[in-house]
Amino acid sequence: MRRDQNLAIIGAVVTGAVIATGLVLLLIARVSPQFGASVRAAAVDVVTPLWSVVRAPFDGLGKGVNGIGDYFGAVGRARALEAEVIDLRARLQVAEADQIAFRQLSRLGRLENPQRRLVATARIVSATQGAVVQTALVAAGRNQGVRPGQPVIAADGLIGRTIETGLGSSRLLLLTDPQSRVPVLVQRTGQAALVSGDGGPLLVLTDRLGLQEPLQRGDRLLTSGEGGIFPPGVPVGFVVDAGEPIRVRAAASPRGIGFVRIEAAYAAMPATAATLPMTDAPVPVEAQRVGGIKGLVRGLDAPSTDGAT
Amino acid sequence: MRGPAPPLRLMNPRERRSFWLGHWRLGLPALAVLGLLLLATAPLPLSLPLMPPLGLLGVFVWATFQPGLMPPWLAFLLGLVADLLLSMPFGVNATLFAAVAGFVRWFEVRYGHHAHGFDWAMAVAITAVHALLTIQLMALASHPVPLEPLAWQWLTSLFAYPAVVALCGWLQRAAFGARTAT
Repeated sequence: MRRDQNLAIIGAVVTGAVIATGLVLLLIARVSPQFGASVRAAAVDVVTPLWSVVRAPFDGLGKGVNGIGDYFGAVGRARALEAEVIDLRARLQVAEADQIAFRQLSRLGRLENPQRRLVATARIVSATQGAVVQTALVAAGRNQGVRPGQPVIAADGLIGRTIETGLGSSRLLLLTDPQSRVPVLVQRTGQAALVSGDGGPLLVLTDRLGLQEPLQRGDRLLTSGEGGIFPPGVPVGFVVDAGEPIRVRAAASPRGIGFVRIEAAYAAMPATAATLPMTDAPVPVEAQRVGGIKGLVRGLDAPSTDGAT
Repeated sequence: MRGPAPPLRLMNPRERRSFWLGHWRLGLPALAVLGLLLLATAPLPLSLPLMPPLGLLGVFVWATFQPGLMPPWLAFLLGLVADLLLSMPFGVNATLFAAVAGFVRWFEVRYGHHAHGFDWAMAVAITAVHALLTIQLMALASHPVPLEPLAWQWLTSLFAYPAVVALCGWLQRAAFGARTAT
């Protein structure tokens, strides 16, 4: 009887200690968001190949079904594409003229336009529509040059940005995640705003700057390039509900697409090296011996002129 | 049914090997929850967060089936793995899984074991409290999340519970028979 009581007390103490440890971990995560980054990267490397293998037969099956569908719809599709080509040719002529004008204006204004740089093209292995965190896994990691904070773009538009990178795989934060914020421009009005996720299938347009011109259903949103991560001009989505809050459907979905581009951060903040304080104070002998602060001690290293040998 | 094993020093090498290998069953609940956690990271071709909290349901079910094999400290470690795999701040699932294992153990000791329907209702209540506490703990870790996606997840957990019970029950029968191991 006493033994049972003692065991119950020990069990309660252990349970309390374990829960307290969990709360301490949460406080550490609050103070240091990068806590455990290397362990997370290793976990990404474990999970990504697993789902890559599991989904392979389903991808093959899907490809087969799509192939059959494409075969039967080939004529209709060819006609639709011909119509699209005619429309696109007209748009291309306008865009070429715009490009020339833009180049001339850039030269006049001495505008320095950073170039987009492709880091890797990779396959989306899994996109998790989690209730708390919404992420996707891609099969490219540090070995391919991927680093946290790089934009990920599909053929139809922006997908998100990298947050964790393993050796051969990375985790992306999707646009629908509540932590996601993307600076955008409304294409029709040029108004700047932010697109954020709220865990649901649609995005929310917030923090509109400037004149509050009413938006219309179908208004396209493009990245503005502000913030230095996402390159400007990438489609983000289009307005589906212009009421309050303004709801946006993402231009590209991470589910069901094959490959994405991972690009370098468009205009990363320059890393500025800390400059040493300039001082006339004498440098300690120990610092001279180890060769530290060489520039400052060069004069002191010169041969002595006081006659000592 | 075999009698208790002889003391370790009296065993011959073969008996000793089979004695140690026979202990793999003790890790089965933890392995089952790990499998459920991996399953929870599976890609679903849906735009709503409908993947149920399989890891939490696994911890709950094993805490009722085999309380001795799902102590709070083990649930804590499994919660850390859940945080890792689901890319959540360390401590959210760890704290909640440990609290669930501790609560179920206390409840079963005090009020005894119950029928499947009662356990189902209890699982529904626990997943609802888990969702609400997840919001609070995520806010504590500076990652505020809205309620709506968690409400969807709670809804799917209503239907996922019998499936998790069936899976864990099958494993329980295969490894331990219809009895508690400890």
